[in-house]
Amino acid sequence: MKERPPVLQSLLVALFITYMIVPIIATYIFSIATQWDITLMPEGYTLEWYQTAFDHPYFSITLTNSFIVSIAAVLVGLLFIVPTTYWVHTRVPAAKPLLDLLMILPFGIPAVVLALALIRVYSFPPLARSPFLLISACVIFSMPFMYRPVSNSLMAVDVHTLTESALSLGANTLQILIRVIAPNIMPGILSGSLLVFATVFAEFTLANLITGASFKTFPLLLVEFTRRDGRIAAALSVISFTVAWLASLALLWVGGRGRKPTEEALGAR
Amino acid sequence: MAYLELQNVSKLFGAVAAVKDFNLAVEKGAFVSLLGPSGCGKTTTLRMIAGFEMPDAGAITLDGADITSVPPNKRGTGMVFQAYALFPNMNVRDNVAFGLEVTGHARKEIDDRVREMLALVRLEDTAKRFPHQLSGGQQQRIALARALAIRPRVLLLDEPLSALDAVVRVALRGEIRRIQLELGITTVYVTHDQEEALSISDRVVVMDQGLIEQAGSPEEIYRQPQTRFVAAFIGTANQLNGVVVDRAQVRFGETILRAPVPTSLNESSKVVVLVRPESIAIHAAAPSAVQNILEGTIQTITFLGPITRVAVDVNGTRVVADMAASSRAAFTHTQHVWLSFSADACQVMANQ
Repeated sequence: MKERPPVLQSLLVALFITYMIVPIIATYIFSIATQWDITLMPEGYTLEWYQTAFDHPYFSITLTNSFIVSIAAVLVGLLFIVPTTYWVHTRVPAAKPLLDLLMILPFGIPAVVLALALIRVYSFPPLARSPFLLISACVIFSMPFMYRPVSNSLMAVDVHTLTESALSLGANTLQILIRVIAPNIMPGILSGSLLVFATVFAEFTLANLITGASFKTFPLLLVEFTRRDGRIAAALSVISFTVAWLASLALLWVGGRGRKPTEEALGAR
Repeated sequence: MAYLELQNVSKLFGAVAAVKDFNLAVEKGAFVSLLGPSGCGKTTTLRMIAGFEMPDAGAITLDGADITSVPPNKRGTGMVFQAYALFPNMNVRDNVAFGLEVTGHARKEIDDRVREMLALVRLEDTAKRFPHQLSGGQQQRIALARALAIRPRVLLLDEPLSALDAVVRVALRGEIRRIQLELGITTVYVTHDQEEALSISDRVVVMDQGLIEQAGSPEEIYRQPQTRFVAAFIGTANQLNGVVVDRAQVRFGETILRAPVPTSLNESSKVVVLVRPESIAIHAAAPSAVQNILEGTIQTITFLGPITRVAVDVNGTRVVADMAASSRAAFTHTQHVWLSFSADACQVMANQ
């Protein structure tokens, strides 16, 4: 028997949602408006800002670069963090608090500090100011976003019994990780990947300082336009949202295909 | 040398010795149960055989080879766990096939073996189902099929029936024994349920606090417990404290009981006389036979279905006697009764 939520609560939720959505809707409308400075609604509608954006010489390059960096950060993150977290959970549980701490540290380091430190340490070719350094910086920066969901997923599943069953049947650690563990922590892997992708795609400071103009990413182009023409910047922002949204859908679709049995199983417990 | 042997195996967790100087020889094809209360070390011992724990001392050999430091995925032992350890992301067929797939068997061989195993546990039509769609008992049968699919040299079961309800437990333990006999596979079974251990094992090893109290056939364990612990743990046993009078008599309070006294116990040694409740008859009036007779007042009468258990206060000692359901005798609370039992229903051991 569900009670109707009190009017005040519903009002507060509605206000909050409005507060969050209005800037996004405004950006969207601005990107398709001819002129919108003094009137309540735009004076006219056009797609010319998008056209200008697409026509910009650096548009496709920066978009591609951002994709490269984001996808690379996700893959490297998965490669390093999933096996490590699994190893600590099963073989060295005493190290788990240390790992938790290590994975929180990036939150305490401002992007500027991280970028400058890395530039200083890796000031030799071929790493100096290279995309590899940028990707590494992004991996470090986004570690907490990959680690937390994966760690939580591992805790939700009985990793020990699953691992021991698989071992007793003759599997080695890699087989166990790929065939047994990963499918059962897919929710965590997907959330982690999504968060890392979104965070890295929008990351400005690291890209600006580490590679700058030599390897321009999409946020750099966007910031450039905020100084030149707000309407094109708005169009680029909308493109940014759309990319993140499509990436989420893609990841959910890919992960969703094998997910149902595990979900039900976890629910049934 | 036996097929599976544990020699002087010990395991410490910090300062606590979970298993102390454990020696066990399991013949090929035998069904051995490790039985004892929680914390007695039975699961730790099983896990050492499986390779999930490393012994701190001693050696484990299988078929003549030392497997003490062999990793668990190379030992050729199959294990069934207490918690359902089926892989939730795979259906039944894939679960059972797992052990064969990770060791690179041919597709046809795998399919044949899966079919064979599912037929063995009588769950042929569940191949496409997922674990969460099966009942607890079915899941354990699939877990068994999966462990047996790799044709292990030893089958290890860690309290596989504990999480199931009573009716399923009884049916499934019979199934496990049937399959074990059919395949002739050497099996080590851990349980805290003595009825389970006694009903399906060739040998029972009773453990307490990391040590073996007694090892023997189920009948031996039940009829001739060698220590007070075993006597108290297996079934119910009345323990009457007394003093040895001679080779055939023990003084219990004011009464002289006729009971065979082992030669190791001298006159005047403090002993305990063990009598099982099913060996004691209850009488409403003083019986005349030449047997051990005790008298007292009834404390409780408990109806247990096939038997009724009557607890009698005999000068401060609580003595329990079982009456078959077929007996039409009716007793009442606080009734004065007589208990009788023969000399050879008694077992005398030192009062440790």
